Amino acid sequence: MTLSMSTILRRSLIHRRARSLSALVALTVSAGVATALLTLYADLDAKLHHEFRSFGANIVITAPASSALPQDALAKVRQVAGSDALVAPFAYAIATTDRGTPVVVAGTDFAAVKKLDASWAIENGAWPDPSDTQAALIGQRAANFIADEHAVKLTFAGKPLTLHGTGRIKTGGDEDSRIYIPLPAFTAWTGTTTSVIEVQISGNAQKIDAAITGLKSALPGMQVQPVRQLVEGESRIVDRTHTLMYAAVLLIALTVGVSVLATLSASVLERRRDFALMKALGGSQSQLISLFLLEAALLAFAGVIAGYIIGSALAWAISETNFGTASLPRIEVLPLVLLLNMAIAVMAALFPARVLRGLQPAALLKGE
Amino acid sequence: MFLRLLYESFRRQRRRKLLAGVAILLGTTAVTAMLALATTIGDRIHQELAVYGANIVVTPVADSLDVKVGGVNLKPANGGAYLHESDLIKLRGIFWANNITGVSPELRVDSVAIVGNMNSAPIPVKERGLWFDHDLGGLRTGAPQLHPWWKLTGQWPQLFKGSDTFQVVLGASLAKRLNLKVGDGFILNGPTQQAVDGHGQASAVGIVSTGDDTDNEVLVPLQIAQGGLGADNAVSRVEISARTKPEDAFARSDPDKLTGKKHDLWYCSPYANSIAYQIREAIPGANAEQVRQVEQSEGTVLSRISGLMWLISAAALLAAGFAVSAAMATAILERRAEIGLMRSLGASRSAIALLFYSETGLLAVFAGACGYLIGSSLAAWLGAKIFATGTATTFASIHIATVLNPVLLPIVVGLALIVAIAGSTPAIRQALRMDPSSILRADA
Repeated sequence: MTLSMSTILRRSLIHRRARSLSALVALTVSAGVATALLTLYADLDAKLHHEFRSFGANIVITAPASSALPQDALAKVRQVAGSDALVAPFAYAIATTDRGTPVVVAGTDFAAVKKLDASWAIENGAWPDPSDTQAALIGQRAANFIADEHAVKLTFAGKPLTLHGTGRIKTGGDEDSRIYIPLPAFTAWTGTTTSVIEVQISGNAQKIDAAITGLKSALPGMQVQPVRQLVEGESRIVDRTHTLMYAAVLLIALTVGVSVLATLSASVLERRRDFALMKALGGSQSQLISLFLLEAALLAFAGVIAGYIIGSALAWAISETNFGTASLPRIEVLPLVLLLNMAIAVMAALFPARVLRGLQPAALLKGE
Repeated sequence: MFLRLLYESFRRQRRRKLLAGVAILLGTTAVTAMLALATTIGDRIHQELAVYGANIVVTPVADSLDVKVGGVNLKPANGGAYLHESDLIKLRGIFWANNITGVSPELRVDSVAIVGNMNSAPIPVKERGLWFDHDLGGLRTGAPQLHPWWKLTGQWPQLFKGSDTFQVVLGASLAKRLNLKVGDGFILNGPTQQAVDGHGQASAVGIVSTGDDTDNEVLVPLQIAQGGLGADNAVSRVEISARTKPEDAFARSDPDKLTGKKHDLWYCSPYANSIAYQIREAIPGANAEQVRQVEQSEGTVLSRISGLMWLISAAALLAAGFAVSAAMATAILERRAEIGLMRSLGASRSAIALLFYSETGLLAVFAGACGYLIGSSLAAWLGAKIFATGTATTFASIHIATVLNPVLLPIVVGLALIVAIAGSTPAIRQALRMDPSSILRADA
């Protein structure tokens, strides 16, 4: 009877079930951790940039003094910035309240502002209904200069306008001293149109620069300015978190890798007697090493399959808990994980083989 | 006998001990480094977020509204209402004084004029009085600290008492428009058209690019602006940067409606709202508000990033636990023959278990402590490397006290002990259960 390589391999894996299982578990853990971290890492930038959306607009488009934004500016901006960007138009005028105090009145699109400026708080009410053409949001400081918030009487160049307030805005900024009304009502009342467009592009500094260049060429003569502290701060924090995560991935991969290496190579070393026996029966050095290698590679492959599934689930759970959005399994991390696990397994098989080479089969079998 | 066995085991089986030791060492290194980074990440990210500027703004309670569009103040909220500069020292006395990291008062003077030389007509500009490097009761602070995105060429102005000329910094657009460079001198006329208290001969010591409307202004020391306006001690607005706790439902409650203990708890929590409340109490005639755009968004970003670090640390802990217990199990399984021999020589099961657990324990404590030291330095080095702000980082610049977190030592070593013992228990039990003679026969 001749023993083929595959028979030896199969028997070796089955007969030493406990040992094979512990090696498999170790390799599954290393593959699982690598998959989870790489999946999270690949998704990190998009997730972090999403969090920065709450800071509001990062590009402001204004008309230079003594001119106005073209009629189709808003449509052009929406087209250039893409469907992912948040865009809100603003128009400003100075009117007087019923108590005779001058106040800044801003015309805008409430639905767009609600998305763009997520940090605005509305007190004593709610955001106006989009179909409500006479609604107004009143800044919390401006509210002190209005007699009746339910019937706000404003005068602009002798023309009166009555609106009903639906709530108070609280921002801690200039908005607190303003009154916001729907843009169509504003235009009909003052005769002026959009003078400022605020845009939020989600992404890194390069993406924002590209958007600014695109907006400048679409709107010649208009001022397109980044909100510098937002753009700089965002890219800095994202870069740093990114690097931190990278360091964490390397550190953990190294730890798990070396520990798995220690476990596997110890389990190979333990089989010195098998090695001696096979050598005594006429097995060549290369045959034996390839047997060890094949066995380790097989375990590593099984570990990658199980680890990929577990790791993807772990990444999904982590990003669901932390960011509230899921990280979907990424097939592109698989080759890297496979490579990593194979490298660990091959090293684990080769390291003891070097030690075993010097041993004499006879001496080992006698039990010395 | 027991001690001798223990000693010889470490002396003779160096390879096996090394493998298990390395596994524990690396595991604890990774866990310590991740935990140390996770515990300090909040402060580090907060420092990074300082780039967004103030999170609390203090203005005088006014009897009219600011009429301000696109950064241009068409009608400032009444000329008469100012805060007092001398009141700002009271910020150092409020409950959360130590959380206030930066204070920047400003005084805007709208109608000053630059006269290049005797022949040219005065050019109207806006002037802003600021602190640049001011000592507020031990806290060195000022506008450059609260506006890290300002890019300066040259230097910030200093105030020399009794000097005829004073130093100013020009906004980049203004300098370009008037063709002025660092080092140029000119006459700066105050709003009252006469050189009052220092207004007069000015020299530009720096040019600042800010990316907003400050680019069109002249920045002067606060005292010069006060002198020009003829309003000593006046401040029109104060920006404050404070370390705060992210807002939750409790933070939004109205302090005046809270009772007893709840009010105290609210008052003593570092919410932006409660710090603003304390500022209103401390400074008469002040209206302090959190800047929601900064405060709210910082809170989310901060909690997301530190949450991510904690979860990754948990994953690291899990992985390191698995790896270490697998390595320990292997180390014991390898020595079944030894266990068989001891059993056949008459050692009791408990004596053998004690020996093996002692070995494991010693290894875990020693390797765990080493891993703690290496992990702590690794975390400090990584943190400094990643979050270095401008200055070059060397090992010498990292303080021992900030590197070693004493709370982590018992946690990490304890975890190493638990994991190592848990990992070796099944293997020890299995070896003890087996018949000594069969072990000895199978594995010479």
